[in-house]
Amino acid sequence: MQPTTLEANTRAVADGAVIDLRGEIDGSARDALTSAYDAAAGPGNLLLDFSQVDYINSTGIALIVGLLARARSDQRPVSARGLTEHYREIFEITRLSDFMTILAG
Amino acid sequence: MSTQPENRDAGAWAQPVHRLTVSEGHINVSGRRPTAPMHGFGRMWQKTYRTSLAGTNLSPSEVITVWKEHFPEFWPAGNRFFAPLAGIAPGEVAALDLSMPGGLKLSTGVLVLYADEESFTLMTPEGHMFAGWITFSAFAEDGATWAQAQVLMRASDPLYELGMTFGGHRQEDAHWSHTLKALAEHLGASGEVSAETVCVDRKRQWSRVGNVWHNAGMRSALHMAGAPGRALKNAFRRHEV
Repeated sequence: MQPTTLEANTRAVADGAVIDLRGEIDGSARDALTSAYDAAAGPGNLLLDFSQVDYINSTGIALIVGLLARARSDQRPVSARGLTEHYREIFEITRLSDFMTILAG
Repeated sequence: MSTQPENRDAGAWAQPVHRLTVSEGHINVSGRRPTAPMHGFGRMWQKTYRTSLAGTNLSPSEVITVWKEHFPEFWPAGNRFFAPLAGIAPGEVAALDLSMPGGLKLSTGVLVLYADEESFTLMTPEGHMFAGWITFSAFAEDGATWAQAQVLMRASDPLYELGMTFGGHRQEDAHWSHTLKALAEHLGASGEVSAETVCVDRKRQWSRVGNVWHNAGMRSALHMAGAPGRALKNAFRRHEV
């Protein structure tokens, strides 16, 4: 399977915004994540949908931390959904799960 | 049984670990929880140090293989990295002795959070100077192979934040610049190092003031101060036997 660069699409929902993530989250995902967060500007919850993500390395996790820091600065609660069991474990060991609500499904 | 396909990165990540364990003789590591940058007190920084390995004709994976195998040798004098027996592999824990001003030796450790062919990441435990991780990587760019160390960190508590402000950041910059220069020279390159620092979050997390309880600097100082007493106690024990 060819590696795929990250696509991050933002859509508004009633209580905030959802960022749908698709592809791989590594060092090359910086611009896509930054743009998606900028597009999600505004109050309310931020939901990250990882159901189409098939690869995350440690540089990618660092980018997610940067996004969490921005959301915290903007006082926006962040949640995540669509995490496989494997990525739930990664969010646990990196302790990102301490700072976002992990939703089922 | 899970029907989910195995991810390509599966073998590169450490298994979940709640408390670190390291061999006897090292303090401030066993029983400590690993910490993410969000668990620290101070401002969040991302520091990136790079050096070109032009002329070496080494691939990124070859560079990382050498870096993992010789990691402690590239550190500045006075600092020790006690490499795990299994080497730098996901889930392994290494103890560190770091040289601090005033002759203090700060004992702490790191967890190998992630390791693949082209990068590896170390995560700090409670009590370390900073909460966060350091990613070492190699990549090809502009016709050359580059080596990079990237730190994502917050000072763990107010004392460390003060220390980082008054010389700690400069000392850390010197540490990783030395490491990259030593790696480059080991590989036959010139070893010029560039550094870039970005403040990711300017806020200090006052809810994390309590992290000072785990401060490895203070605990190391107390441990050093208690060394003569322990030696005397051991001598009496031997005499009684």
